Parts: sequence; structure tokens; C-alpha cells
Amino acid sequence: MATTASVALEGRKPRRVLPGFGLTLGYTMLYLSLLVLIPLSAVFIRSLSGGWGHFWETVTAPRVLASLRLSFGASLIAALINVLFGLIVSWVLVRYTFPFKRFIDAMVDLPFALPTAVAGIALTALYAPNGWIGAWLKPLGINVAFTPLGIVVALTFIGLPFVVRTLQPVLEELDKEVEQAAASLGASAVQAFCRVIFPALWPALLTGFALAFARAVGEYGSVIFIAGNMPMRSEIAPLLIVGKLEQYDYAGATAIAVVMLVLSFALMFGINALQNWASTRHGER
Amino acid sequence: MGRLLLIVTALLFLGLFLALPLLAVFAQALAKGFGAYYIAISQPMAWAAVKLTLLVAGIAVPLNLIFGVAAAWAVAKFDFRGKSALITLIDLPFAVSPVIAGMIFILVFGTHGWFGGFLRAHHIRVVFAVPGIVLATIFVTFPFIARELIPVMQAQGKEDEETALSLGATGWQTFWRVTLPNIRWGLLYGVLLCNARAMGEFGAVSVVSGHIRGVTNTMPLHVEILYNEYNYAAAFAVASLLALLALLTLAGKSILEWRQPELRHAARRPRDRTRRVNT
Amino acid sequence: MSIALRGVTKQFGEYAAVENIDLDVATGALMALLGPSGSGKTTLLRIIGGLEKPDEGQVLFDGQDATLWPIGDRKVGFVFQQYALFRHMTVFENVAFGLKVKRRRERPTAADIRKKVQDLLALVQLSWAHDRYPAQLSGGQRQRVALARAMAIDPKVLLLDEPFGALDSQVRHELRRWLRRLHDELHFTSIIVTHDQQEAIEVADSVVVLNQGRIEQVGIPGDIYDMPKSAFVHRFLGQVNELPVQLRDGRAYVGPIDISAAADVQTGSTKNIALIRPHEIEIGPAAAGWPATVVAVRVIGPIVRLELCAAGQPLHEPLEAEISSERFEAERFTIGQKVGLRFRRWQVYPAAA
Repeated sequence: MATTASVALEGRKPRRVLPGFGLTLGYTMLYLSLLVLIPLSAVFIRSLSGGWGHFWETVTAPRVLASLRLSFGASLIAALINVLFGLIVSWVLVRYTFPFKRFIDAMVDLPFALPTAVAGIALTALYAPNGWIGAWLKPLGINVAFTPLGIVVALTFIGLPFVVRTLQPVLEELDKEVEQAAASLGASAVQAFCRVIFPALWPALLTGFALAFARAVGEYGSVIFIAGNMPMRSEIAPLLIVGKLEQYDYAGATAIAVVMLVLSFALMFGINALQNWASTRHGER
Repeated sequence: MGRLLLIVTALLFLGLFLALPLLAVFAQALAKGFGAYYIAISQPMAWAAVKLTLLVAGIAVPLNLIFGVAAAWAVAKFDFRGKSALITLIDLPFAVSPVIAGMIFILVFGTHGWFGGFLRAHHIRVVFAVPGIVLATIFVTFPFIARELIPVMQAQGKEDEETALSLGATGWQTFWRVTLPNIRWGLLYGVLLCNARAMGEFGAVSVVSGHIRGVTNTMPLHVEILYNEYNYAAAFAVASLLALLALLTLAGKSILEWRQPELRHAARRPRDRTRRVNT
Repeated sequence: MSIALRGVTKQFGEYAAVENIDLDVATGALMALLGPSGSGKTTLLRIIGGLEKPDEGQVLFDGQDATLWPIGDRKVGFVFQQYALFRHMTVFENVAFGLKVKRRRERPTAADIRKKVQDLLALVQLSWAHDRYPAQLSGGQRQRVALARAMAIDPKVLLLDEPFGALDSQVRHELRRWLRRLHDELHFTSIIVTHDQQEAIEVADSVVVLNQGRIEQVGIPGDIYDMPKSAFVHRFLGQVNELPVQLRDGRAYVGPIDISAAADVQTGSTKNIALIRPHEIEIGPAAAGWPATVVAVRVIGPIVRLELCAAGQPLHEPLEAEISSERFEAERFTIGQKVGLRFRRWQVYPAAA
């Protein structure tokens, strides 16, 4: 039953009903290309400007490897700390009431809002041997400032909101009735947690961990003040990049950057895939 | 009993990691008294840093606002292939270390960069000058507004806009009269977060700025300079201004979340896929 | 304005929402698109209104091909299930919206706009609400504002997508009557989408029954109910009892009841079912029909519903019969009572594959 109109429609993509598609998508893609895609490609291109051999040499130099190990290692530890305490904090914030709760809840976002340099000098002041906390720990033989431990502290601060804010909505949406059903069927509080609550939580926990980890790996401002910045010991990878830039060793700087970018992108895709999987599994929650 | 233990643990953790650093900033800033504090923040260099910070934010935030609205409109009102890729692309800066974010502009606009020769020939300075700082700041902060708006606009759907169109409104009329009022709280929220990050960015700007005192130092960079000169009280004084900004941002955030509870965790949820067809 | 659809097809990916639809809507008619979810009725409405473009086919307004016209040019008034009132505008501003966004040349003066809005608000009996915000109104009131807003632009056709779905049944009932009266007064062409067959029958001049993207039947409400063309329509338009039909010795039987000659129930299929509405079952003394036992009695206002287990039928699938409460007063059927069943009317269809 081909009419003239349907012949005209064939081979023509249906025009969109709401206006502005071309304009908004075009502008968005332009902005992204100019600002993100093209500059980022410069990193990858430049990293290979000395050839594969040079790239590989740079990236496997002991100092570089040490800095990468430090950045990723300290981030991992910090993220794990945040997972443990983040779980407790979000549980407490969602389930219990106590004075000033709303104020405290709002303050959880402080690491988000506070400039990293400010956090950096504040943490250093706290944990330096003559600082409020550092003075306490010194007699115990624990040095925080200017050691890798200080880096972990700074990265814990930075990643704190990620776990808490990822867990809170999941905890809030947790059907109280499901827990009550478990209790009515005879489960103890611990059993209810392990069998009913935790299974619903762990995707969000994993996501929060990954977010905190990703954020910590690239962190610069809050770390360089409290770290000793000693090569091979307490020098984080971003600092090494800055050093090479100042020496105009662009090939070297970009090589390290490429390693960090590839690992971060992989992490980000992993997070997205995890979120997708979790949302389909739990029925579009 | 267990409840009390958990609450105490949580509060101790937060107290240690949040409250103490914040208090330390103000304590150190006022360590030499109010007089010294006032002098520190009224230094010409400090003022230059404040002005530059405000200028950079004043350019970056509006540009990112336009981007955020455009991106959210494209994603929320239409279905197209590659939408998830686009959303991931928008999130990209979060996976990039600030130092790398600054570096990419050196690679493109620096003296040894792609456009280095061209810029030098025309006496235009981008890197180690204000334009470079603006670019780096834009890069680091552009996702904020888009990320807040996309879920907000997705949740609102297309019906209001379809209705307006059926009543004869043009695209622009629909946007100004119908869409914008609907998203204004999400917009404000995104602007608030974007601004906080723009004013506080350190790593990316540090790489790109050249640290030229009085010219290319934003407030965070100025803090670093003062600190490295062992001028601690002054460093913390300027830092305290930034901390106050952070507190204002948090306050603003809370107010907006109270007014519009959906904003609270909007950006953190997994993104909506194409909506179900309703026949 | 009359509307015609020719060969309209729309797919969403693999899924065919509507397939090859031909339809005519006469000027001034109130037509209902009736069907379950997934039947394509909303998609069809949106295609008529321009919110979706069909993959194939034509949409004709007064004979003109409007398939590709943008929404704004079609002069259609939309009323959605969730009202879609602009929540930041007052009722007055909502209704005035369509007038205020007109092009400079066509825009009425502020005074004209005010008059028109006031007239419309009076028509929908909401003059008092002119400076309220949608959040301050009830669901039924909001829906009337949505209607007034749609009518402000003098639409040639009104398209309503399950407009009463989100309302309480009492409010629904009132609004249905009100819509019908309004339609009778103003004679605009309207198309209403609904999944509620009661609503379709009460409100519409003609009903189109849709199933899985295709038209099952078009007709006036009475015909659709009394003379359904397919088992789907028969089932959708009200309760039915379904019984298998057996052919023996050239006669067709439902249970022990001889319903006709076998030749009269040729459907082209070897397995057939008979659909019988609850009020089409006659209940008499046990010897006078198919033996059955009363297993439940429910008095519901003016009617009484009886569940009956007929001999030879599975116990968990009783038949449902309806009698008037007067009859029930007279006969006083009780649980366990033995009765005999006969059928006043029935229709035979092929059993579904």
C-alpha cells in the first residue's frame, strides 16, 4: 500500500519532534572535541614522539615505577579505609538520629568543596611533628607528615565523600520491610545484615571504592604538602610529571601520564559497567 | 549498645578527618592575631590573586553553564546512538589527574606545543598567562553542571516541552518559559559546585600558570607560594578565605537540597537508559 | 476537522507499536481508542498529534497530508494523563500560554487574552482558581485546567491520552459526564485513549479496539459490546465465561447443551470455544438444563453474582452468572443448591493457538 507520502518517507530519517537536537548535540561535540578529545590526544601522541623504546624506558625507570607504586598503593589503602569507615558513617547517618546530624551530614562534602591546596596545608599543619596530632604521635614513634603515611591520610580525606555519598541513597532506599520480613522469619541482626542488607549494598560499596580510588590516584594539591616528595620514597606520580615538565622532558612526562590515563580510563569504564550491571540486576533501582 | 559504638566511631572518624583540618586552617590563620590576619589578606599580591580567581571563575562557570544546558538537553530529550559514550565522555575529566589536565594545554599551546610557533608569531600568550589558566579551569570543571542537569532533565521527561510545542511555542520559547523554570534549582546547584571547584583548582592551574606573582597566581597558588616561603600565617589567612568559600558552598548546597530533595544524589545514580515506550 | 489514517506503521527498534492502521474520524466525533497496554493506542494518538513520526503511511487532516507537519502547525490540543501543567505558572498563565507564545502578528492583545482565558475558565468552572498554582489543585481540577489550556488555541482536534487515569473513580465518573456534555455543546473532534472499556462505552460516539498494534474492530459502543468480531474484543469488553465447543453427530455442544447445527459454527478451526457473558446464563430448576451446583453467592448492589460448578467442568473454574437482585430475592439461591443452566446468547470463536 505504498502511497506517495510513504515513498517520500523511505530513505529519510524521521525528523525529530523536539527542536534543538542538531544545535545542542553539535555544540556539545564541538566543545568536547576542542577541550577534551584533541588536547588528550596530544598526550598520547607526544608520549610516542621518542618512539616505543623511549616510552618503555621512561615508564619502567625505577623512580617512575616507585612513584606509580606509591600513587596506586597509597590510593588503594586510602580507598579501603574509606570503604570501612564510609560504611559505618553512612549507616549511622541514614539509620540513626543524633544532635547536629544534618549539619554533620552536610559537612561530609567538605573534601569536595575545599580547595586541595587548603586541605594540603591544613593536614600538614595537623600532622607535622609540632602539629596538634603529630605532637601526640611523635612520642609513639609514628611520623605521619613527610612520609608515605601522610600521603595515605591526605588521600583518605580526599576520598571520604565518595563512599559515603554512594552508599547513602542505597541505604535510604533499602526496603525496611524486607528487613522486617527477615526478622519475622527469625534472622538475628547480624544474619539480617549479612544475608539481606549486604548483598544489596556491595555494588554501591564497590562503586564507591572505585570512585575514591580513581580520585586519589591523580590527586596532587592535597598531597604534595604533606608528602616528603623524596624520590623513590614519598614522591607521587603527578609530582614526577610536573618535574619532567619543568625540564621540558615532554616525552617523559607524557609517557607517565599515558600510563596513569590508561589505568584511570579502565577504572572508569569498570565503574560504569558495574553501575549498569547493578541497576539491571536490581531492577532499575 | 552496638548503635552507640557505631555512632561514636563514625563521629570520631569524621571529627579526625573533617573537623580538625578545618579548625586547623582558622586556628593557624589567626595564630598571630586579628591584626596580622587583616594585613595578610589585604596585601596587594593577595588581592591580585583574589581578583584573578574571580575572573577565571567568572569566565569558566558561564561557559560551562551553556555547555551543561546544551549537553543535558541533547541527552535528556532525545534518543540517539552513542548516548552512553557521550555521557562517559562528559565524565572524563574526573578520571584525569589535575596535573595532566594542565599538561595537555601546555602540549597544545605551549612554546613547544602544537600551536606554539603560531602563538609566538602573533604575540599571544596562552600558557603561563591568564588564558591558559582559564582553559585548564574549564577543562576540570565542565562536567559539574552537565552531571547535575542530566538526571534532573531526564526525570522531568518531555511532556512539558511537548505540550508547549503543541500549544504553538517555538523551540526557544519552550526553553525559556517552560524548561528553564523547571530546572532552575538543578542549575543553581550545578553552578555552585562548578564555581567551588573553579575557584579552588590547584593542580591543573599550577602546571599551566608559570606562578608569576601578581599576574598568574590564583588564590590557591598564592597559598602555595606563601607556604613555601614559610609565611605560614599569611598562607593560612588566604587559605581561610577559601575555606569560608567552601563553607558557603556547603551551606548553599544544603539549602538547595532541602528545597529540592531529588538533587541530593542525582548525579551519583547510574544513568537512565532509554525510557520505556508507553503505548 | 476530519482525520484519516492510511497504512500507518511505527516501529520502535524490533518492536512494531502500530502496524498498517487505516482509520477515519469524522468531524465533530468523539472517538475512543481502546485497548490494553502495548496495543499501540498511545502511539497512534501521538502520531496523529505529531509527537511521533510514522515510519510508513499518511495522516490526513481534512484530506490534506499532514504526516510531516510539525506539532505547532497542526492545531491539536493535547491533554496528557499526568496533566503536564506548567508548575511554575498560575492557572491563568497556564491557560494563556498558547496565546502568549503566538507570533507577533497573530498575537491577541493582552485584553483579548485575558477575556479568552476568563471565558475558558468559566467554561471549566474554575474561575476562582485563576491565580492558584497547579500544586494547590486537586487532580480533577488540574485536568480541567489542562483541557482549558488545550482549548485556548482553538484546536481543530482534541487528543486526550488516558486523561482520567490518575483520578479516583468517583471523580473519573463525574469528569466523563462533564467531558461528554462539553463535547455535545462545542462539537470539537476528539480522540480519547483509554484502557477502560467502561469509559470508552460511556463517553465515545465510536470505539476502535486495538490489540498489539492492529485494529480489531471499529464501531459504535453498543455494537462492539453486543456483536464483537473476535474473541479478543469479546473478552476485553466485559466479563466472559469460556467453554469448549464439541462437535458430535453433526451438532455442536457446550457441555450437554445443544447450541446449534455443526454447520452453523464453522470457524475454520478444529478447536472452538464459546464465550458467554455472565448475564447471558439462565438459571432454572435442576432438571431443566445443564446440572450445576451453586458454590458462591455475592450480592453487589443491584446485581447478584453467582459462581456455579457445572457437571463435567473442573472444580477450580466455576462459571460466573449475574442476575438482578429482584430475581435473587424471588429465588433465594443458596450455596450447595442444585440448578440447571441454559444459555440465552453465545458466540463461537476459534480457540487461540
